[in-house]
Amino acid sequence: MVEAKPSMILAGRKADIIMYNGLDLEIGYLPLILESGKNPKIVPGKPGNCDCSHFVKAIEKFGAVDRSMGDVHPLGNPHYHYSPANILRVAEGMTNTLADLDRANADYYRANFRSFAERLKERQKKWSTIPLKGKKFVAYHKLFEYLAREFGFQLVGYVEAKPGIPPSAGHVQSLIESMKANKPDGIITTSFYGKKESESISAKTGVKLIILPGDVGGMKGTDDWFSFMDMVLTSLQ
Amino acid sequence: MNHLRCLLGIAVFCSLSTAAFAQDTTERLNALENAIKSQTKTIEEQQKTIEGLKEEINKQTVQEPQQKSQEESSLSAKVSGFFGGSVLTNPNISLLLDTFYHESNLKNDELETRGIPGYTTSGVEQRNGFNLRAAELFLFAPVDPFFNLYANLPITEDGIELEEAFAVTTSLPEGFQVKGGKFKSNFSRLDAQHPHQWDFFDIALPYRAFLGDEGLGGEKGVQLTWLPALPFYTQFGAEVLQGENALLFGADARSGPHVFSFFAKSSFEPTENSTLLFGPSVLFGKTRNSNIVSDAEFDGNSALYGLEAVWKWKPSKQQGLILQSEYLYLTQHGNLTDLTTATVDSLRRHQDGLYLQGIYQWYRWRFGARYDMLELFADTFKRAGVQQDLGETPWRATASIEFNPSEFTRIRLQYNHDRSGRDGRSNDEGNPAVHIRDRRPRGTYVLAATSHLSANCVGSSSASSTYLGYVSEPPSSPPCYHLKSDVAYRRKTHAKNSSRVISDINGFKPRLCQAQRSRHAPLDRQPGEGDR
Repeated sequence: MVEAKPSMILAGRKADIIMYNGLDLEIGYLPLILESGKNPKIVPGKPGNCDCSHFVKAIEKFGAVDRSMGDVHPLGNPHYHYSPANILRVAEGMTNTLADLDRANADYYRANFRSFAERLKERQKKWSTIPLKGKKFVAYHKLFEYLAREFGFQLVGYVEAKPGIPPSAGHVQSLIESMKANKPDGIITTSFYGKKESESISAKTGVKLIILPGDVGGMKGTDDWFSFMDMVLTSLQ
Repeated sequence: MNHLRCLLGIAVFCSLSTAAFAQDTTERLNALENAIKSQTKTIEEQQKTIEGLKEEINKQTVQEPQQKSQEESSLSAKVSGFFGGSVLTNPNISLLLDTFYHESNLKNDELETRGIPGYTTSGVEQRNGFNLRAAELFLFAPVDPFFNLYANLPITEDGIELEEAFAVTTSLPEGFQVKGGKFKSNFSRLDAQHPHQWDFFDIALPYRAFLGDEGLGGEKGVQLTWLPALPFYTQFGAEVLQGENALLFGADARSGPHVFSFFAKSSFEPTENSTLLFGPSVLFGKTRNSNIVSDAEFDGNSALYGLEAVWKWKPSKQQGLILQSEYLYLTQHGNLTDLTTATVDSLRRHQDGLYLQGIYQWYRWRFGARYDMLELFADTFKRAGVQQDLGETPWRATASIEFNPSEFTRIRLQYNHDRSGRDGRSNDEGNPAVHIRDRRPRGTYVLAATSHLSANCVGSSSASSTYLGYVSEPPSSPPCYHLKSDVAYRRKTHAKNSSRVISDINGFKPRLCQAQRSRHAPLDRQPGEGDR
């Protein structure tokens, strides 16, 4: 669980603008950073507080939630960094926010956005050639729903019965049975969470284990978003 | 003849032209018919196109509202404040229940009277069997763009207490922040934490010795903190507090605020995965209470100096280590008035205490160990100029094992070997503790009134203390009620200022122990308050 370190609080103190994922992903530490940062520029409602989820078309919003459902995110699935369509919207939103806050350099931001959008368009052409449509995967945690929607594959099962709660032996056993029967195309997880459990399930069922980077910089060779998505999509092939 | 020819010519001409005209007309009529036909056709086709377009528009308008509502709902998150969701309707509310099972080798009356000679006469809070520490109600909401508001209300069997209720500024420039109301002091990390946030069931021994079982506690006052934009995190703080803590200060020490604190905390990251936080603090003010020495009231000045250090190592989600230590040093001098004999002696104290604790986290388990000790370097306790021999050095060792089924619950087993009673007896306590609580930092996010349960089970066996010269209560007398603090008593008698309701349960009328009864006689003389 991420905790607010004093260095994060100091960064908040010095910042002109704070941009965050939103949808409760940072709820364990962002409020502390915002209040203890003692920086009026970045508190909610100010232009220096940029919740990037405002620009996103979020999926999986719940109506009534409580903790018995596990660690659910009621405002929607927060892992939209796997979604090129949403990342483009976020980039545009960031551009407008930066341009509003720093009008002198507005043209610079917009020019950068245009080149980003072009690069994304090109990459999209390359990514659309990767044959993922119709494939079926099992995932450890509910991280890949945006990816599934945009690239046409299905997530047919999860190792975690409830998000954030490690699975019981019974659930793992029944998952192994159904995986042996239905043979999905792979079991996907990230390197920092759920790797051991997924390795053992892969060994028991013969289903291919796919380790994806959890975020930009999560694995070697994923230092920017394009290389991150490249690695994600080529690993899924 | 010409006439006739003319007429004939005209007639022929007329008939010819009529015929021509007639031919023209028919053609023209046909042409018109055709034109009308084709126009009708065109109109029909256009009609079809219009119908088709209408359908498409309908379809789109059906889709658009859906998309719109999705966008709207993500936009409505704009009014989201610190924790997401709308804060325009309800404040964030959370409830924690802290209840535990306690097992001690000492009986309840011994637990009640077990103080630390030379430090405090207050016994431990726990009793054998099932205990309820509190059901804590926590509320938070941003008030406006300038303030956030917090309140913490522990509900106990004695009533509802307002432990904290304060506002924090959010818009001051240059890294300043003001906190005002009633709050737990931030002079140290341990003191600012609520019991359910502690890494162990009970507070470190130096805190119990100098400040009481809950540290300084909620104090009314104002705090100024400053976080300058330096290369390293450094925060400075100053507080002016009313000073009602019943062990180090006391509500009667002076009318008006009489406690001040200054502190500084600095932090840097020695490695990528570790953080070190450290800093000095001082808490000083006027003191007046009867909780240091039995049957005697102390009146004087106190200064508590502190130095804390916390080192956190977290290389991955699956493991981590926290080492924490604090050194507290007290200087206190004033007069001690014996309540039975009315003699006044001077009292001078220079005492210190240290605790060192470590928690190792491995997946969902945490293993903890703590060592507390008083009087490392300073053990001066001079009454009337004479150093008192208080007995063996107080110390305590603690071990704990925790399992966290989720990040919101904790099951803890804690064992204390407590030798702070200074009577040659050791207190060996074992407690299976079920502690289910929310681990989010203050400002628990709640949607649809989630509540969390915190059940704490701490076993502590405590040796009863009988300090030579300060016998608290003859063992044979029936159990009596020791007021936890002077402050609690004062709240009982000054009803309109009372923020603590002490109610009588099942007709049990609290009976003050002899020594306190003579001091607090008015309790019997106010039948109007009933059992309060």
